[in-house]
Formats: sequence, C-alpha cells, structure tokens
Amino acid sequence: MDRSEIDLTAELALLEITDDERDRLEREITELLEHFSAMNEVDIAGLEPTTHALQEGNRLRQDVLRPDASIADEILEQAPDLEDRFIAIPNVL
Amino acid sequence: MSASKTTGWHHLLETSADDYAEALRARDAAINGFLEIDTDRRRTPGGVSPPDDAPPDGAGPLAGLPLAVKDNIAVRAFQLSCASRILANHVAPYDATVVARLVAAGMVPVGKTNLDEFGMGSATEHSIAGPTNNPWDTDRVAGGSSGGSAAAVASGMVPLALGTDTGGSVRQPAAFCGIYGLKPTYGTLSRYGLVAYASSLEVAGLLSRELGMVRAAYEAASGVDSMDQTSVGLPDAQARPAAAVQRVAFLGGELGLDERTAQAYRRMREVAVGAGLTVEEVELATADAMMPAYYTIAAAEASANLARFNGVRYGERPIFAENPEALVRHARTEGFGAEVKLRVLLGTYVLRSGFQEQYYQRAQRVRTAIRRELASVFANHDLLILPVYPTVAFRHGETDLTAFQQKLADRFTTLANLTALPALSVPAGVYDGLPVGIQAMGPAFSEERLMRFAELVAAELPPERPPAYGVPLCDEIGSGGGA
Amino acid sequence: MSYRSYVGLEIHIQLATRTKVFCGCRAAFGDEPNTNICPVCTGYPGALPALNEEAIRKSYVVARALNCLLSPLCEFERKNYFYPDLPKNYQISQFASPLGRDGFLDLEFRKRRKRVRIRECHLEEDAGKMIHAGDQSLLDFNRAGTPLLEIVTEPDLEIGEEAEHLLQEFRRIVRHLGVCDGNMEEGSLRCDANVSVNVDGAGLGTKVEIKNMNSFRFVRKALDYEIDRQQDILERGGTIVQETRLWNENRDVSESMRVKESSNDYRYFPEPDLPPFRTDDAFLASVEASLVELPAERTARFVSQYGLQAAQAQFLCEERGIADFFEAAVAAGAQPSDAAVWLMGDVQKLLNRTGATLTESPLTPERLAKLLVLLGSGRIHGKLAKQTLEAVFTDDKDPDHIIAERGWEQITDPGAIGKIVDAVLAEQHEAVAQIRGGDDRPHGYLVGQVMRATSGRADPRLVQQVLGERLSLQFIQVLSFGGAISGTRRDDGVVVPGSLESLTRSLRDDPALPAGIRYDELDLGGFLSEEVTPRDWALLIRAIARHVAVGDTSGIVIATGTDTLSYTAALLSWLFGASLPIVLTASATTGDTAESRDNLRHAVQAAMNRTPGVTVVFGSRRYPAVNLKFERVTGESAETAFRTWNPGGVPEPGVGLWTNLQGATGSREPSQPGADLPDVEMLTERLEGAARRIFVAKVFPGMPAGALIALIDAGIRYFVLELYDTGTASVRETPFSLRHALEYAHQHDVTFFCTSQQEADVDFSTYVTSHDLWRGGAIPMGKLTTESVYARLLAILLTGAAGDGSDPKAVARMMESG
Repeated sequence: MDRSEIDLTAELALLEITDDERDRLEREITELLEHFSAMNEVDIAGLEPTTHALQEGNRLRQDVLRPDASIADEILEQAPDLEDRFIAIPNVL
Repeated sequence: MSASKTTGWHHLLETSADDYAEALRARDAAINGFLEIDTDRRRTPGGVSPPDDAPPDGAGPLAGLPLAVKDNIAVRAFQLSCASRILANHVAPYDATVVARLVAAGMVPVGKTNLDEFGMGSATEHSIAGPTNNPWDTDRVAGGSSGGSAAAVASGMVPLALGTDTGGSVRQPAAFCGIYGLKPTYGTLSRYGLVAYASSLEVAGLLSRELGMVRAAYEAASGVDSMDQTSVGLPDAQARPAAAVQRVAFLGGELGLDERTAQAYRRMREVAVGAGLTVEEVELATADAMMPAYYTIAAAEASANLARFNGVRYGERPIFAENPEALVRHARTEGFGAEVKLRVLLGTYVLRSGFQEQYYQRAQRVRTAIRRELASVFANHDLLILPVYPTVAFRHGETDLTAFQQKLADRFTTLANLTALPALSVPAGVYDGLPVGIQAMGPAFSEERLMRFAELVAAELPPERPPAYGVPLCDEIGSGGGA
Repeated sequence: MSYRSYVGLEIHIQLATRTKVFCGCRAAFGDEPNTNICPVCTGYPGALPALNEEAIRKSYVVARALNCLLSPLCEFERKNYFYPDLPKNYQISQFASPLGRDGFLDLEFRKRRKRVRIRECHLEEDAGKMIHAGDQSLLDFNRAGTPLLEIVTEPDLEIGEEAEHLLQEFRRIVRHLGVCDGNMEEGSLRCDANVSVNVDGAGLGTKVEIKNMNSFRFVRKALDYEIDRQQDILERGGTIVQETRLWNENRDVSESMRVKESSNDYRYFPEPDLPPFRTDDAFLASVEASLVELPAERTARFVSQYGLQAAQAQFLCEERGIADFFEAAVAAGAQPSDAAVWLMGDVQKLLNRTGATLTESPLTPERLAKLLVLLGSGRIHGKLAKQTLEAVFTDDKDPDHIIAERGWEQITDPGAIGKIVDAVLAEQHEAVAQIRGGDDRPHGYLVGQVMRATSGRADPRLVQQVLGERLSLQFIQVLSFGGAISGTRRDDGVVVPGSLESLTRSLRDDPALPAGIRYDELDLGGFLSEEVTPRDWALLIRAIARHVAVGDTSGIVIATGTDTLSYTAALLSWLFGASLPIVLTASATTGDTAESRDNLRHAVQAAMNRTPGVTVVFGSRRYPAVNLKFERVTGESAETAFRTWNPGGVPEPGVGLWTNLQGATGSREPSQPGADLPDVEMLTERLEGAARRIFVAKVFPGMPAGALIALIDAGIRYFVLELYDTGTASVRETPFSLRHALEYAHQHDVTFFCTSQQEADVDFSTYVTSHDLWRGGAIPMGKLTTESVYARLLAILLTGAAGDGSDPKAVARMMESG
C-alpha cells in the first residue's frame, strides 16, 4: 500500500495523517496486507460468505414506542454544543 | 464443584463500601486496572437502581457481589471512555444488557476497567490511561484488550469482571493472569451496550478465578435480547451439546510456543489422559488463514463502527473548527490513537471498491471454510484443546514481541470468533512464576461442557494467586464473611 | 435532428410507522427538535439497530403493489459516508439484494399508455436534518432513523410533466396503501432524477442527476429545464458532463453540485448487526392482506360500475378516505352520481371552509346518503338540502332530525300542494284566464305565487305538475336563439334575423302534437347564427340554468342557426349534462318554411320524451350534442347537413360542469330556488374573459409559426389546434413548423389542445412528428372535434371547474377528463 493509497484511504476515513505516521502506517499496513495473502491458499470455490455465523429465524421488533422519554434530554446533556434543543456545530461560510 | 471462596464478597458492599473503595484504589495503584472506581454510585439512593421489572434476587449466588466492567461496556452513570481520548469524558446514559442482567441478579458495578483503545490490542497498552500491569509481574503486560478486567480479578480486587472478546480479548488476558476467561457462543450474551469494534466477531465475556461464578454469571446474563437482534437464546438443555467430555482433540502441528507454554500444553494433555479422556491430535488446514481473515473482517467492520465518533453529538471536539468537515476530521485525528488509526485505515482500504473482493469478500469466504473445518472436528470430538497464546505474558513495550508479532500471536484465539463458537481459557499451572492458560473450544452452546473440562483440570491444576496478591480484598478488609 | 430524452426517478418515501425503523422512537414530523431521539438513532456508543416489523411489512406491500419480484431474503448493508446529519456515518441500506425488483407501474398520460419499469425498492434509514444559521449549523435528529423506502425506476420517462404525473400516481398509490402520507413539502415523499438526452435511436446519453426538487411542480420544471439544457448542448455540438445538479427553485435553473471524487466510494458491506430477514408464508399473507384496490383500478371501476364521469371518479379516488366514503354512502342508499356531485361540490366547499377532513367531519356516509335520499324523494329541495348539509356540520346531527327540528321539510303531499295551488288560482283570475286563452306567459308567475305561499318549501316539480293538471297544461320552454329558423327572407332574397313568435304560435295548433302542451317562448334576440357572441351565450345559459334550478319546465327547445349549432350544442352539453331534456334545432331555411316548422315540431316531440341530456334535432334525425359537424350545405337534403364524428367517442351526458358554479354567488338564506343564480353580466364577463384567451387554429402547409407566437404575446393561453390525421404537424427546423411555437408556448405556460382535421382519434401514436408534439407538451384530445374541445374549454373557464383558470395544468386535467 503506497502513500497515495494511504492518503486516499485516510480521506475516506476522515483522518489526517502526518508524514511520520504515514511512514509507519505504510510499513505496518503493507506488512499486514502481505500476510493476508495467506488467504489465497484456502480453497473458497463455491463457498458462500459468512456474514452472520449463527443464524436463527427472523428477528423483528414490534412497532411500539419505547417508554423512557427522558433519554432524549440525557443525550442532549452530552452534546458538546447546544443551541436551544439543536446540536450546534461550527460552519463559517 | 471447585472449592469456592466467594462468600467473603457477598456482604462487602453492604458493610464496608467506603473501605472497599479505598482498598481498591490502593491496590490498583500498582496495577492500573481501573479507569474509574465508585463503590457507591449504583447502590446509594442518588445512584441508579436496578430496573423495576427485574428485582435483585437476594438469595442468588451473585447477590451483592461487586462487578468490574471493561470500559467499552455501558454502565449507566459511569464513564464509557473505551480508553480513548475521543470519549474521555463520555458518560453512558444506559446500561448494556449484560450489565442490566447482572445488576438484576444482584451484582453491583464498582468500576470501569482499563483496555486497549476500543478493544484494539493484545496488551492493554494502547490506553489513554497508560498500561495495566500484570499482578504476577508488573514489568509484564496483563494481556489485552480486557487487561484491566483480568488484572482486577487476578489481583483479588473483584470476584468477577466483564470483558469483551473480539479476537481473544477475554481469553488471552485471562491466560496471562491465571484466571478463567469465557468467550461464550456468539450472541448468547447480548452486544447491546458493547461499544462495537467488530460486530460479527465479538461477544461479551466473563473473567473470574471461580468457575462457579463464571457459570452463575453466564446463566444470569445470557439469552435473547430485544435490543440485539443478533442475540440468541440458549437451546433447551436437551437440545444443547451434552456436558460430558469423552473425546478431545489437541491441536497438533508446529505451534510455535514458548517454552513455558509448551510445557503447560503438554501438562494439559497429561491431565486429560490421566482423567481417562480419549485424546487425539488434529491439524487445521486453514490455520494460516485465520489471523488474516480475522484482521481483515475486524478492521473492515471497525472502520464503519468507529465512524460514528466525530465529535458532533458527544465526545471530544477540537476547540476550533471552521466547518463541519474540519470539525470531524480534527476530532478523529486528535481523538484516536495510533493503533486505532491503523485498523480504521486498514479496514477502509479492504472495503474500498477495487480491493473489497480481494480482501473483505475473500475473508468472508475463508471464514466459511474455517467454520466447515471446525464443524468436522466437532463431528468427531467433544472439544478442541489448543493454546491461548504462543507465549506467557510478555514485557511492556515491544521488548519481547513487535506489534506485528503480537497480531500474529492472535492465531489461536481468533478461531473461536471466526466460528462464533464458545471457548474457555483455563488456568494450566504456573511455570517459572508466570501462569499459562490453555483453551478449550466446543461446538455452539457447549459452555457447560467447557466448564466440566475446566473442573477436571482444576482438580489437578487449581488456579493459583499471584504471590503479591495472595489475599483477596474482601478478606483483607475482613468484612466478616470469611472463608 | 430528432432527440429523445430518458428520465428515471429515485423516489424516497417515509413509511408511516409509529416508530423509527431501528428503534422505538416516535417517527413524526414537526416535533420539537431532538425530542424523538435515543442512543440507537443518535449513533451512541454501544447502541444496536432492531428492525421494525411494520417497516419491513409496509416496504414489501409497496414492492408488491408495484408488481416487483419480492426478495425471499432481505439483507441490509452499510453505506459508508461522512455527513454530520448521519449519526453513525454510515446508513443502513440495501445494496446487493433489494427487497423488491423488476416491477412496473402502468401509466396513462395524454392518451398514451406506458409501462414504467421499476428497477428496485429498498429499505433504508433517513438521516437527521441540518439547518444553517449564521456561523453554525444546527442538527436535529428527530428524523434520523425514520424508515425510508427508495423506489428506483428505469429511465422510461421522457418529459417533466410525465414524471410529475408518475409521481402523483405514485403518491396516490402509497396513500391508498396507507404506507405514506406523500407530503413533498414536509419531505415524506422525495424525488431525485437522472436525465439523459441523445439523438433518437442512439440509446441513452450521458446521465445527469438532478436533486433538490421539493414539489411536484419543481420536478416538472427541473426536468424540462435539464432536458432543454442537454438538448441545447447537443445541438451546439457539445458534450454532456456526467454530474449532479441541484434545482434552484428561486432562480428556476439547475446548478452543478461539486462533489469530491473520493466520497463516491460507499464501501457497502453486509450489516453485521441485523440478521437477514426471510419472508415466510405468514408474512407474505399479511402483505397480500394489506393490498387494496389501487387508485387507477378504482377510478376505472367507479366509471364502469357507478356510471360516473372520469373527472368525478378521479376526484373521489384521489383519496382512499373519500372513495371509501363515497362507496359507503352508495351502500347506504345514495345515488352514485348525486353522491359524487355533492362530495365534489358542496361537501368539499364546507370542508375547505371548516378546514376539516372528510373522515373526521360530522358528515358520515350514512348522513350523506340520508340527505340525498331526502332530496331525491322530494322531502327537501336543493336549496334546503345545502342548508341541511351545513347544519350537519355545525350541529353534528342526522339530516332528518335537522329538517324536522327546523321545519325545513319540503311540502311533498300532492293534496297539500293542491290546496295551495287552488287557493292561488282562486285569487289569480286574470292569469288563469290568460293561460286558458292560450297565452303561457303568466305561468312562471303562478309558480312563484305558490312558492311564496309556502315560504319556498313546496316541491317545485310537484307545483309544476299540479298546476299543469289544474290548467291541463304541459310546459315545454321554447327559446329562440337566432338563426334563419327565426328569420325572414327579404324581398331581395337575403335572410335577416327575426323572431319565432309566428312559428311557435303555429305549433300550438299543430295536430301532430298532443293537446295540452303549452309553449313558453323566450326570445333571446334576433341575430343570425354566425353572429353569436359570448353575451348571447350568457343569456341562453342563464335562461336554461334558471329553468334547471326552478324546475318549472319539463323540457327546453332551442331554435338556433346551423353555422354555430355544433358549438352551442356542445357548450350546453358540457354545462348542463343530463339535467333536463334540452333539444337544439335549426333550419337551413327561414321560419316561414315547412322545414322550419317540421324541425321545430320534431324538437318539441324530442323534448317531451323526458330523456335528460342535450341533443340536436335536424330533419328527421337526432344527434348527440358533442362531436356534431356541420358538414354540408344543401337546400334539399337536410339529412346530410350534420354528422356526428367518431360516434363511439362521444361521452355519455353526465353531471354538467354547471354544478361547479352553483352557490358561487353565496347567498345562504332559504329562498326561492334559482334566486342565487349568477347574473348575465357575470356570465358575460367570464365568457368574454375566456374567449379572449382561446384561439382555434388549423395547421396547414406553410403555416407561419411566428403568427402563433404573436398570438401568445397577444394574450392567448389556450390553443385548440387542428392537426392532421392522428395528430401530426410539421416540426422540421423551418419557419413553417410548430417547433418554435411549441417551445415558446412551453416557456409561457401556453397549452395546445389538439384535434384533427379528419375524423380521427388524436393520440400521437403513429408518427415521429407526433412524438415531438407529445414531448413538446401538446395535449391530444382523442376523438373530440375542434368545436367540442373549444366548447369544453369555454365551459371549464366559465364555471371555474379548474379554479380561476390561471393554472394551465388544472385546466388541462379537466380537459382530459372529459
């Protein structure tokens, strides 16, 4: 994985990477990706992917309101910045 | 049943909560297992009482027992930092289902334990609060990522702790600290309230020196949860795998174990033979692909799971940002540690269009191949016995193992996560001053069988206490219960 | 060069569930910010989604209604992108296996039936809302996690109006299914589109995405704008850039939206937190059980089963609640056509006034049925029926209770009315003597006296009947409305206008007509047919409307001229429908001829047979009022002068558009029937206003299209355009083609209603030039003739059947529903 790929990937993940970090990440990720080639040794022909290892029947929730109304206020208490009941974030145009 | 010395814990909080808090802080000074301690918060009138619909059963085996909870599991009114800067001051507004159920069974959360940031690591060193030290040798790591929970139990600070196990994070620190660590069948302990790292792999786990307590806690906390639709109920007792153990398979081949671990592994085999079990050796063709498949899937899921941490609705945000995107970018860049960034980037990369097929999709199919191979093992054997980790607890930093070697060493534990199967880390003696744990794995819902096997081992190799912490806190405080 | 446009829609609907798709928070619009939030929908650490069974069921119901293949396995995926209003920074959506695919929706738009293919339906979660305020953005997560069903069509649509039409049909469907309220303003129904234009025959062009179309109108405008924009670029030899554009509703343009390239990789992968959902028999049965008759089928059934007009059926089926109400009222005994008229007219007006919806108003289907039965059986008359309806709204009581309480019950006992009539006749010696002497004029006066004596409560038809019996008379109203039939020939042989007086006098003694019939002749003016003005029509319409309202005549005969007979007949038919027997007649010769006498006699006989509806009698033949063509002028062969074009395409007379005007003058006190009719001045003003906006044009080789543009500049808003064949005209790039006129018309909201110079069905189906006309927004009028279309347009504008006539779309809808 080269630098430009790291930068593009970091952009997708909304992370900023310093030059020092980039060197370390390039080394470590490349090492891991090389090791991942061991997966090529496994015969996966005809195998379905495992997305959910233990599947039971359908799981659905009834369309009923949750009882605790106070949770909304508790959530707002944790917001870094509030404007009335809105959560505020900076946006200098 | 093993001789249980749990009675000393039962009335501790009732009679000496403050002394206990003080003693906890004192003992933890050398361990750094806790990120937050409060023995009153969940038992005083100002605290949060257990849910009305599930009154604590005063007579139950867990009644009144203090509980330590890994700090990536939500405990209402306690912090939920995940040992990350980005959640440094976050307080959980709700209880994880496992916590709520243990509280309903009478347990009292007394603190949040240290971990690798978001559960990503094998040594509890990637933490904003610094590393946790191993009670057997504080120069060594307690293991990870549930290192704080394991160390807290092993040093006699709490009788039981909750951890999470995504790739071995309960079993490996349990092994490093000489206690039991149960990674149950995927879904049997609800994930609701576990801060997600790799959703399809992880499950809450239990750490204790007492097998009976592991059993009781698992019984109390397991079962279907409407808040987690991937949770599963335990089948009826008759439909579950029989608890009796007769034929066991030991993982063979070149395992790359250090001397003490190899010794313990041999000892374990002798114990099994000595107990009259049929012992055979199996090798796994997919062995080399386990760690790659695990890290690919875990990182991919993590890249999405950790996307929610952006400093907008909660958590830390930078002092200044011009616009929303800059805010999010800075919050994440400043809020995440190096190992988290590494895995988020890796996970983003393996999901990118053009690479997804080669990595993520292939890993999902490899996972199927691994499940099939394991299924054939359990068609002929009651249990699979294998090491937890190729080494004993290593020294802090990358002195003994590099970061990459630490990941490679997850190869024995990731198997249970990839296959969703239960595995128990069993203390297998102390060698040259350090404990070694050996894993027993079984088919889905065979937790009881794993514990029967552990009992059988305990008869020969009972868990020991670290020399420096020979007396559990409940006895040190001498709160009347007594052994 | 001929171009073709391809439009596909991406429609999002918020499913009407009680709670959000993955948590138990209330899913509602308009609550205080951040009140309906919880750890799950705000992406709190540790929270997990739990799929709502109603959301998945309603999703499958929509997919089923759109004829999709239903996926037996419903899996969710994570769509990864960062946006502050997206709590988890991934959206739980569906990618690889949407729950429905390969469906279709049948549309009929401007005579063209089309099957629009549905590519897929998938369920996902809505994001929160971010609003900008000064130097910060404010987030509200109430909407986050609302179940959102995305429906993607194939690019089977061509123009903005067609897309708007599909969207409206889709809205009706989801409202009928009860899965979404379809409110574009509140965002419960949203629409994005992809548009490409290419040379006809060359397949799809470069796709441009259009977003931010926040109303049905904006969808139409934005798509037409985009089609024009792309076609302009192609015509100038340019290339289209693949991009996303945002509709700017303030400037009426679309603007390119800059998007970072990297953000296009959504890195979909299976959602590990939600196990796949598998449909089972019980679930599929519950989906089937939720399917209801869809609005298009129901509209068609209302026409065939209840004999409603298309426009009525469409109105009723716009809302399931109204359609259900209608059917319940019919089941409770109401006549279908009465129920339709009342629901569209007076009931709707009351609802508008009170702000209530039908289903929550005090009016029940039973009450409406009761009211209409009371009206139909003559226990109350029309005016009082309206007041009773208002009283139902204010008092919340049953109609029979109200009329009993207020003493509004109509006097329907023939004995009682007989006594009153006898009393009036005993006093009115002079009038009685005059009538018995053969002069019918005091008849209306006598009716008025009886009504006054009963405070307007006497059943006017019964009064009419009793009065007729007492005086041995049956009244046929004969109206003279110009033409040669009432004219005379001067010495120099030229025909000049005159009056019918002598002709009707001769009918009184006509042995071919039964004795006892009396004629009440009303002279609306002496003029020749070709001289008819809007004011003349206003007089005629007012006179007929009065008779219809008062009910003092059993039939109306109108003597008029041949030249404009087709227009007048169609106009009266669109206006009055099947209210009274109305028979128009004319003569090729002057009033003193045998032909005139014969035609008038036949007309009277036709009016006497009491079949309601407007017809034309000429010679020995009788014609429907619509689609009549004055084809031949011959002295002798009256039988071939008129012919009905497309007889199979002539609509059955139904409820006339006139009902739209009833009550327009607004008096609400009980009074004599007919007292609240609009006056001639108002009708004249309206007709003249309408006539000033309409122009009838015929295409011909060398037609200077610039002249049409000049007409548009002069204020013409509606053209009745006579094309060739099934709707063809030149659209070549020449000054003699309609192309530029069409474009100009489109820009100025001018509508072309297209008829044919031949006896044809104009549906734009056959020729490539037709397709260009269709794309250009011209509206095919099917089998209707130019005269009928013009008359319908006048009738619509006169009666306000499409509002005040300023919304060309509403007018077009009414025109098409004829």
